[in-house]
Amino acid sequence: MITAFIHKFSSPKSFVNLTEKIYPFLIIFGVSMLIFGWAWGLFFAPQDAVQGNSYRIIFLHVPSVIFAELIYFFMAVCALMHLVWRVKLAAYLIKSAAPIGAMITFIGLFSGSIWGIPTWGTWWQWDARITSTLILFIMYLGILTLHGSFSNLEKADRLMSILVIIGVINIPIIKKSVDWWSTLHQPASISVSGSSSIDPSMLYPLFISVIGLGFTLIALGILTSRSYIFTREKNKRWVLEHV
Amino acid sequence: MFNLAFDNFNDILYMQGHGIYVWSVYLIGILMIATSFLIANKRIKAIQKKIKISNAPS
Repeated sequence: MITAFIHKFSSPKSFVNLTEKIYPFLIIFGVSMLIFGWAWGLFFAPQDAVQGNSYRIIFLHVPSVIFAELIYFFMAVCALMHLVWRVKLAAYLIKSAAPIGAMITFIGLFSGSIWGIPTWGTWWQWDARITSTLILFIMYLGILTLHGSFSNLEKADRLMSILVIIGVINIPIIKKSVDWWSTLHQPASISVSGSSSIDPSMLYPLFISVIGLGFTLIALGILTSRSYIFTREKNKRWVLEHV
Repeated sequence: MFNLAFDNFNDILYMQGHGIYVWSVYLIGILMIATSFLIANKRIKAIQKKIKISNAPS
């Protein structure tokens, strides 16, 4: 019954039809929230007492690293669906999400490095948080490389899914690295369950930036997955009718 | 809450010496995200064109 339900709602055709309808709303809402959050954080939030204005990088850095991890987690769920229930769409989504994950992880690493120059006096340190995030970036590239190295695409989908599941071990390591090891990177300033150590005047624009970037990346994911689905299913009748 | 944190445009750009770090990060970030959208759109158009050509009646 579960298998029938999953297959009914996970056909590439229904995915394309549904996402085409919601895409304009997602992109408009995401970009508007992102502009609002960043404008608030960059121009109106007060200066930090210790870090001065360099802390304003937080409104790009924190949303980027949050989604660097969340995209991987999403890919791991898709990998499980592909391996257990043989859902084709799940493999297509992994392949489409991986370049976005790599890009956003790069932005997270780059923004952190630049922020480190005025704050720590160095752009790079081999500490647990930064190194585990670098490993995440390499994992994204590895997944794309592995998939690209097979001519048999079904086999590539399966092996890519297995690699994604193996790599998911890195996600709790990134999350807990600042607690488990003594790191140059500060512990988490915001918390979903407990109280945040960041002032509300900085927390609100940060929260809005996270939501804005999230919706923007979902919209980007819809675009990349649509082109990949068309590529993979180009000989199917529904694609011919659709384009 | 919505009081401008800077006195003038120069202060916004300079950010007491941190402007170069802050603005370079946002510039690169925005460029990368915008480029990804452009590439994705271009790919959709290319594959749609390819499918149409390969299925056009000869």
